[in-house]
Amino acid sequence: MIGYILTQEQYEQIQGKHFAPYECFNCVQDINDVWFTFFSDQQKETISQTDWSWILELPTGEYVPKPSPPFPPF
Amino acid sequence: MGRLGWNSGYIGSDQRETAAGAVGYSKYYLERLNGRFNPVLGIDPDAQAFFDRVIAAGGSLTTTEKIAVNQLVLDIKSYSIWTKMKAIYPMVGASAAACAQNLKSSSFTGTFNGGITYLSTGVQGNGSTGYFDTTVKPNQQLSLNSTHISFYCNQVPNVGNANLMGTRLNGNAYLLITPSYPLQNGAFYTSNNSYEVNRGGIILTNLGFFINTRTTSTTSVLFRNTTKYSYSDNSVDLDTGNIYLLGSNSGNNTYRHNGICAFASIGDGLNDTEASDLYTAVQTFNTTLSRQV
Repeated sequence: MIGYILTQEQYEQIQGKHFAPYECFNCVQDINDVWFTFFSDQQKETISQTDWSWILELPTGEYVPKPSPPFPPF
Repeated sequence: MGRLGWNSGYIGSDQRETAAGAVGYSKYYLERLNGRFNPVLGIDPDAQAFFDRVIAAGGSLTTTEKIAVNQLVLDIKSYSIWTKMKAIYPMVGASAAACAQNLKSSSFTGTFNGGITYLSTGVQGNGSTGYFDTTVKPNQQLSLNSTHISFYCNQVPNVGNANLMGTRLNGNAYLLITPSYPLQNGAFYTSNNSYEVNRGGIILTNLGFFINTRTTSTTSVLFRNTTKYSYSDNSVDLDTGNIYLLGSNSGNNTYRHNGICAFASIGDGLNDTEASDLYTAVQTFNTTLSRQV
């Protein structure tokens, strides 16, 4: 999955902030602890109309997730 | 269709017969407009209040969606389970503004976080950052021995983990629906104010309407559509986190999935009859919207 790559500062700037009345940014670290965020095409359209539009100009890359914690055993 | 000699009036009876007895039915007014008849709904006041919240939020609904939601409210009320609901998310309107609204009341308007796609078929996560925060907290809004959560999944996730909904912050007791997904090697977990338990490879699909309900201190029940799975399962505690959809609230970005939610509810425990009735109402709702599975 391709996502937008954020610096630590950019992550702190947007994490949890509203970009629309009922939508907030949420970011995740990849397997190398690099911050990523993702948007649907609808959300990109919304964000492009706001002061957050600079996010859509950030570099992008392939997101490799960290392994999920195991579920409890049976 | 031949011309009728009146400009407006009712069509259809006010009630229809079901196995539960006579239930309310949407009354249709037909008004002649420029030589054509247009159906105008007689709308339940709670359904109308929901429509008003959607509009005030900047969303919109199609006529079909309004008809479906109105009938959903009538059906849930006719089955005497409306008062058991704390939150109902019909996921209509194909926008964040519309889908964030709680049908039951103006409380628990949620927030979408991360990557979400809003569709006529429901809302879809992205398997990593996307989820919906209902703001409902079990330890504040739910009862230890009377809790239900439900989730209608009409598209199987192929990314992420299959925590359909819930919260697992407490460490002592969770509230979850987690059916099988290949990444979990066929494991299937549920929890209802108790420990998270792997039920084994019983349910091998994420598709359908899942209801996780508890009405006693010793048993929890999961329904997938009309099939019942009952577990000897003592209640322990109420989780302290907000209930999420499209993943569980685990305090981080794990356990999210990219399936589609076409309905969700949270509230008091439902007995077998009530769970069956909720399935009937929700299946009718989603069938009207042509998004049933």
